[in-house]
Amino acid sequence: MTTIRARRRPSRARSLAAASALALLLGACTVSDPEAPATGGGGEGGGGTFSIAVGIDPDTFDPAGQTTTTVQNIVDYVVETLVVFDENDELVGNLAETFEISEDGRIVTLGLQDGVVFHDGTPFDAEAVKFNLERIIDPALTVPLGSPFEVIESVTPVDDTTVEIALSRPSPGFLSALSVTTAGMISPASVTAEGNTNLEYQRPVGTGPYTFGEYTAGESVTVQKFPDYWGEEPFYDTVVFRIVPEAATRESLLLSGQVDMMILPPVSDIEALQANEDVEVLLAESDRTIFIALDTNDPLLSDPQVRQALNHAVDKQAIVDNVLFGAAEVMDAPMAPSLFGYCQTGTYDYDPERARQLLAEAGAEGASLELLTPSGRYVQDQQAAEAIAGYLREVGLDVSVSTSDFPSFLARVNAAPSENTVDMHLLGWAPPFLDADFQMQMFRQATHPPAGLATSFYTNPQVEELLAQADVETDEARREQLYCDASQVIWDDAPWIFLWTQSFPIVWSADVTGISATPTEKFSAVYARPAS
Amino acid sequence: MTGTAAHIVRTLLLSLITLVGVSVLIFLMLRVLPGDPARVLAGLNASEEQVARLRDQLGLDDSLLSQYGSFLTGVLQGDLGQSARTSRPVAAEIAVRLPATLILAVVATVIGSIVGVTAGVVAAVRRNSVVDHAISSVAMMGVSMPVYWLGLLLILLFAVTLGWLPAAGSGEPLSIVLPAVTLAAFSTALISRMTRASMLEVLGQDYIRTAQAKGAAPTTVIVKHGLRNAFIPVLTVISLQFGALLGGAVLTETVFGWPGIGRLLVDSIGARDFAVVQGIVLVYAAAFILLNVVVDVLYVVVDPRIRY
Repeated sequence: MTTIRARRRPSRARSLAAASALALLLGACTVSDPEAPATGGGGEGGGGTFSIAVGIDPDTFDPAGQTTTTVQNIVDYVVETLVVFDENDELVGNLAETFEISEDGRIVTLGLQDGVVFHDGTPFDAEAVKFNLERIIDPALTVPLGSPFEVIESVTPVDDTTVEIALSRPSPGFLSALSVTTAGMISPASVTAEGNTNLEYQRPVGTGPYTFGEYTAGESVTVQKFPDYWGEEPFYDTVVFRIVPEAATRESLLLSGQVDMMILPPVSDIEALQANEDVEVLLAESDRTIFIALDTNDPLLSDPQVRQALNHAVDKQAIVDNVLFGAAEVMDAPMAPSLFGYCQTGTYDYDPERARQLLAEAGAEGASLELLTPSGRYVQDQQAAEAIAGYLREVGLDVSVSTSDFPSFLARVNAAPSENTVDMHLLGWAPPFLDADFQMQMFRQATHPPAGLATSFYTNPQVEELLAQADVETDEARREQLYCDASQVIWDDAPWIFLWTQSFPIVWSADVTGISATPTEKFSAVYARPAS
Repeated sequence: MTGTAAHIVRTLLLSLITLVGVSVLIFLMLRVLPGDPARVLAGLNASEEQVARLRDQLGLDDSLLSQYGSFLTGVLQGDLGQSARTSRPVAAEIAVRLPATLILAVVATVIGSIVGVTAGVVAAVRRNSVVDHAISSVAMMGVSMPVYWLGLLLILLFAVTLGWLPAAGSGEPLSIVLPAVTLAAFSTALISRMTRASMLEVLGQDYIRTAQAKGAAPTTVIVKHGLRNAFIPVLTVISLQFGALLGGAVLTETVFGWPGIGRLLVDSIGARDFAVVQGIVLVYAAAFILLNVVVDVLYVVVDPRIRY
């Protein structure tokens, strides 16, 4: 039903309002050309800006306070470590040119690079090393990744470029631990400089290729090239880390040319990105293992046969292909292949028949189990958990899946055995340096919750013995063999449903080159440059 | 206006009691959440000794009463404490982030009010026409469309395909366009529907017929006699929407990487950073109360018949 109305002249105010609203809605003006990938200004220095989209808003720029690899990655532009892992995952010198361990494994001697200066002009020398190593074992400071350094007994400068570190016991993983950003070298003078105190260290001053510029909360971090850098000069004058929590938005920034590189695209888009000629995709290997931890204290799951059955029941490759879009490698040992001490220990083939048979033999048919999973912390974690539950239901088990936010999740799985009610949970674990020692914490009594995150409560005297030997074995080949032997026992005991090693996907514009990754979920883009 | 002034003073005094109530509630709610802040902050690889030391530093082992006491003492001295996650003062964290969220909410409210009121008036005046049905359908979409989806579609169209606008961040003047439009979608729809309903009620009144009969221009009738009388409920919706936008900007801020306080709140809850969460909630509560006082005053301006 329509009514007849007098015709109206539109009032000026109304059309203005409508026009301005329309202008806003249509974004009537255009961006003055979104930042095209930086190109060199020619000549030696290169120049320009390189921008990287990351997902995490930094909590602290203090190397000692680091927790996430993303923030470490930013700090690494500014602050350097004494040693590093090279592209072959071998430990090599960096600020320390040489390193050696005494026969008894108690004295580590470092020979430092000569002529290195911090960004504030302070020379980098033995005293600076002493200052930094003493700082990360200072109880007043919270050092989340500090446990490998607790063996430091004393640090003695022998001369300007030689340092002796005495350890309270042999610690074969100690040198590798020095490669973690936590042990990055900051200028001793900088803890009292503008904007910093020892406990609130906001503006890092290191020896790295870039100096710390500006942090805009929730928005970006900017670093500037350091003219007196001791190593190879990078191409770009400025590097900007854009903080964008949403993966699809990071991808849009790259595709629209507003950044040159991004990490962690939505995995469902990886295939499309690989087909796109304007970008390069790297599914870098990472050392993060993803697994379902089984509560070995549980009457049902205490039976190794049941745990093996669960491993045979799940088609891990199918889940990697269809749920993770190929962004992972199925595990064939209780640790990632990039770790020192890895050896292939076996496979649990997808064999639902065998799983049913093993469950029947153990009298566990139709048992009820709860599977707890985080949501959005690991690649497709909740989706993978749902798929796994589906496979377990197919072999006759009654499985329910539940999820919660990460702190609540952590509170449940980190509870002491007496109050622990979790049958199975999905978890990820990534050693901060490439040594089996950190992975093996997951299978030792000393790190059972609440002391640590060995959430399967797995204990095997044989494994304890092998690992205790490895803790003090200074012969690398023998130590490797000990980890391999322990891995074999763990694999057969199956305290986990061994799932996969997660990939670390990086995507960048085809206009730039010189980008790679390390297995500790870090990108290497300091030497990025135009592709032409 | 003295009556109004007294009313405002009374409201502000009552607000203080409300704020104390809010502070107790948020304090207790945070502490019944599962999850040990010290464990979350120290990270998965930290040793038990480190976690215990951090618990001690954060005062988590003290009684609830003494924890609340030191929180309240701090607030009264204008000190909101320190972020456990970043070690920066909470007040500074909030001061850095709040403007971005305010700007976003104000721009979105302006868009929502202009577009929503205009569409609502047009729909009411042309009720049951094609235009009315079109506006209603678009409003329906605006109410039902998830921010996430709308935001990503707008990014795909305007940033990736057309290359007109920044996809994320707040670094350029034009950065605000997409997040503000996305955030405004829901309120625009709501305001337009409220305006339409309110206008329809007013347009049926005798004084409208009288105005038309005495030959007033149609625009005068609609705006001066119609909209002005229909505006009170619309103003209420706009102010409620503004409050909701302040709190509801979290998703929009996440999609567009907008450095606002909503994201800080989510990050802080995720890290069990008690001091920051308490600080943000208190600031929000104070902002809401202030907003209500402003709206009370606006009612008097819009409708002289209202007296307190």
